[in-house]
Amino acid sequence: MLAFLRKNQVPVSCCFCLLLSVYILTAAARGQLKNEPLGAVLMFIMRPLQIAAQGTVNWISGLHENYDTLAGFRSENERLRKRIQTLEVEQQRLLEAAATNHRLKQLLDFRGQLPGKVITASIIANNASSWFRSCTLDKGSADGVRKGMAVVTPLGVVGQVVAVTPRTAKVLLLTDPNSGIDVLVQRTRARGIVSGSLENGTILKYVKRSEDIQEGDRLLTSGTDGVFPKGMMAGIVIKVTKQHIGLFQFVEVLPAVQSARIEDVLVVAAAGGAEKN
Amino acid sequence: MRLFLLYFLVGIFLILLQSTFLHLLPFGPVVPDLVLVLCVYLGLHHPTVGAAVGSFVLGYSIDVVSSRLLGLNAFAMTLVFLSVYFSSRTIWLHHPVVSSLIVLFAAVVKGAALVLLWVVFLSTEGFWLGAAKYILMEALLAAALAPLVFSLLRRGENYMKKLGALV
Repeated sequence: MLAFLRKNQVPVSCCFCLLLSVYILTAAARGQLKNEPLGAVLMFIMRPLQIAAQGTVNWISGLHENYDTLAGFRSENERLRKRIQTLEVEQQRLLEAAATNHRLKQLLDFRGQLPGKVITASIIANNASSWFRSCTLDKGSADGVRKGMAVVTPLGVVGQVVAVTPRTAKVLLLTDPNSGIDVLVQRTRARGIVSGSLENGTILKYVKRSEDIQEGDRLLTSGTDGVFPKGMMAGIVIKVTKQHIGLFQFVEVLPAVQSARIEDVLVVAAAGGAEKN
Repeated sequence: MRLFLLYFLVGIFLILLQSTFLHLLPFGPVVPDLVLVLCVYLGLHHPTVGAAVGSFVLGYSIDVVSSRLLGLNAFAMTLVFLSVYFSSRTIWLHHPVVSSLIVLFAAVVKGAALVLLWVVFLSTEGFWLGAAKYILMEALLAAALAPLVFSLLRRGENYMKKLGALV
């Protein structure tokens, strides 16, 4: 027996790891894996690195956009080019400061309208796997963030907190295939579930064929899920397809918040929605 | 021990890249899976118990950073390591094209593992076409990047060995 194990130690250890993965998966799916230390340690190590890296990514994105805007002026003449470049850097800095100021002011105004406890947080990383739509926030349980809290911006719904460590929180975005948010069509009050889909982007599910839904209809949170405050914008209907068979219509949705373009969010505890850790 | 530390740091760095900088690339929602390439490299060049556990830890780290359920990528990466471990016993390779093909195969194994677990544990509505697209795109991207990543890893490893010889 020992000789067999020694001879096949790599495959045996792989099988052990596979079984351990299945055990973790099963425990996580049943909600029994609440405090796993390895994840907390890993996120503790990753947090400062992610903050620095995401800061650089934001800076590069801003610089790229700014470059596009000012590209026309570059061809004017050689003498002015250096001057423009200097101004560009300065302008970029000021624009960024103004944009941050504007964004934070909007968040502050919006924060006053939300019920219950509200925490402001920044996004420090996105999903590392193509199969999920998630992001990491720079605030965690030490700041009052709890699993199940809603994540929003003044523009609308972003997602829901699905895991927390003391200093970070993982957010499942509205566009993830495993998310689901109860919504109302503003015009007709028809109800459905907004969710992501690997195949078709964001969709509105479980809307009866008889319901009147049109392109351009606004979808608002119903507030009945106990997670998202009522009346928050979730998205706009961009395509409605009634198939020949089936109980429901197929509705494609443009999310209200483009998650790739946001930097700061509000984490909101709706009444009875968040789990006490 | 030095090599283990090197690969752990490389793994953390790659996850950091995947969760930040690689989102700047124009591939839409698909992020190049460099950790997969690292696991294939470990399976080919370091078929040890430590590397097997390392692949599991790397997959688990991706789960911690971005998966809906913990254990999905841990399972997939371990399976990738195991399949590469078995194939490396029959295939002798050093050519970049062959390494790309092995990574392509490994990406398909990973995709199949994720699909299997997804079907068991998560929602499959509107899933199949998207999954096929993601498996294909991820596999092609990973295969395209494999020679570069392999070359960098080999250089890093040689550098560490030289450093070890000097100290």
